[in-house]
Amino acid sequence: MSNEIIQIETPFQFNEENKREFDELIGRYPVKEAAMLPTLHLAQRQEGYISPAVMKYVAELLELSVMKVKDVVTFYPMFFEEPVGKYVIRVCHTLPCALRDCKVVLDHLKAKLGTDIASETNLAKGTTDDGKFTLMKVECLASCDVAPVIMVNDDLYKNLTPEKVDDILEQLPN
Amino acid sequence: MVQERQILYEHLDVPNINTFDVFRQHEGYTRFEKAIAEYQPEEIAQMVWDAGLKGRGGAGFSTGEKWSFVPRDIEPRYLCCNADESEPGTFSNRYVLEKNPHLLIEGILICCYAMGIETTYVYIRGEFTLGKKMLDAAIKEAYEQSYLGENVRDTGQTINIYTHPGAGAYICGEETGLIESLEGKRGQPRNKPPFPAVQGVFMKPTVVQNVETLCNLPFIVGNGVEWYTQMGPTYADTRKDPPEPDRNTGTKLYCISGDVNEPGVYELELGLTCTELIEVAGGLRGEEVKAVIPGGSSAPILTHYELDTRLDFTSLTLAKSMLGSGGIIVMNETRNIVDCLLNIMKFYAHESCGQCTPCRWGTPWVRDIVQRIADGEGRQTTITRPKFGITESGRWGDTGETEEIYEDLDLLENVANNIANVDTMTWNTICVFGIAVSWPAVSYMRKFRPEFEAAIREGKLVTLPIAEATVPPEENYAYQQRFIPKEFADLE
Repeated sequence: MSNEIIQIETPFQFNEENKREFDELIGRYPVKEAAMLPTLHLAQRQEGYISPAVMKYVAELLELSVMKVKDVVTFYPMFFEEPVGKYVIRVCHTLPCALRDCKVVLDHLKAKLGTDIASETNLAKGTTDDGKFTLMKVECLASCDVAPVIMVNDDLYKNLTPEKVDDILEQLPN
Repeated sequence: MVQERQILYEHLDVPNINTFDVFRQHEGYTRFEKAIAEYQPEEIAQMVWDAGLKGRGGAGFSTGEKWSFVPRDIEPRYLCCNADESEPGTFSNRYVLEKNPHLLIEGILICCYAMGIETTYVYIRGEFTLGKKMLDAAIKEAYEQSYLGENVRDTGQTINIYTHPGAGAYICGEETGLIESLEGKRGQPRNKPPFPAVQGVFMKPTVVQNVETLCNLPFIVGNGVEWYTQMGPTYADTRKDPPEPDRNTGTKLYCISGDVNEPGVYELELGLTCTELIEVAGGLRGEEVKAVIPGGSSAPILTHYELDTRLDFTSLTLAKSMLGSGGIIVMNETRNIVDCLLNIMKFYAHESCGQCTPCRWGTPWVRDIVQRIADGEGRQTTITRPKFGITESGRWGDTGETEEIYEDLDLLENVANNIANVDTMTWNTICVFGIAVSWPAVSYMRKFRPEFEAAIREGKLVTLPIAEATVPPEENYAYQQRFIPKEFADLE
């Protein structure tokens, strides 16, 4: 697919800080393509999700086709192709957490936020109407000793109970 | 009572051990300095071989042997540190990264010196944001102190370490999947051979090691091979004549979770039994142990009859299971094995990378069968198999008798065994993900068959008492085939 076919209304560009970080990144690898994952992480941090504009921009930076970038974005669960809430709540539901009642935490979050659980193809389903939260289930977060756990954006919360979940949600700034 | 043996985790709780100065006060980097002052690179590689260090990531392959495959005349060579810890039940690397990142850097330095490697990529799973932050800060300090960069400690060697974030794909913990992902592609594993040691990242010779394996290196160099080999059992490999020593040396960071009172990481010498480990972890939460998963969710389950199995690479392999990454999950009498298998199969169905057809289609199929059984819709009598034999008229034919079968259980085993056959240990997929799917599926089903049958028969999940839920040892394929290795010292 040629890069020109995709219609992009507002082009995406790294801000100054990310541009500097990208320039530092690209020097680490003998081929530009290898900087794909860190670059996409940077872009997602700036834009919130990987929009077609982001893909086009990253493709240009790494001298690849947009298809190649999309290929990677669709493979990894941490990259979102749709807008998500300000806070992404990841609830671990793999066996060690399941043995420690993660379902109670999940049900509590669902009731509290009044939303369903997002699926990878339909993130809007798990996003609250005000766009503050996105609730999703994830596989093992490698903290089985302090199960059940959730991650809110980059922070991990341990040994959860419904009461603790309430506290966490209250303390998040608007 | 087994004593905890703290080596890798010794200084983990020292305040600010993540900073260079505090790490330095606790013998930090002295082992690396000893390595460059007293040994040639080849000598270090030989020491690692002699120490019998086995890779801690899952496969348990001898580290020294792996290094010997790397051609030393091809430049550049790379080191990839696998910090993509995603196996359910494993969480020891997280603590190293978050609390003592300089130890990992020291291990990497020793490996780079031994193998003449200039560039290291630490592939950290995307969710470890704190771990990445801590390691990045430690790397920055190490650059400032000239332990990294050009001409490290006047050796004339350049060593660079870069962290590389993953993005949530379990399969990137497989070494070739990791390499593909590092190159900026989908993390779909490659065919082997060529092995990464010959053609790895950017098609150059690459050493891929787990965090825990690298963290062992400073102690092997610092305290010597003899000290290291005293820890853990050395078995006799009786397939060889005369028997050869099979080393399971060193300590292991056992991660124990599930139904125990004090879940956590316990550093112990290899070779203690399941029962002992549960005791170390504060005892069982509940009345009785129903099952133990000994090495992360991919490992075949152990029944309560098999709890005397020693938790080391050789013993568990001979008991038809594996130590894997050392993630031990304990289940008590209230747990339903069908439900547990469903949880694990959902995980694998989600994480299959989609490259090989048997895995891409087979894994969700296995999940659907288990889901059906758990929902009470397991198929039992829909098919009755005609029984062939000598009929009343004296001819070969259908005798009219029918045999009721649990169709779904046969189907489950059939599908799983066609992804990877657990009996012959052959897989129809590129990587070992296939065996990681069929191992739990088949072992849970065979070892706890009465519980699966009850769920189909009753039309709902039934948690049977342990004695009824488990097949007796004489019908347990793994128990029948298991072999308890002899220690080398006990040979006559």
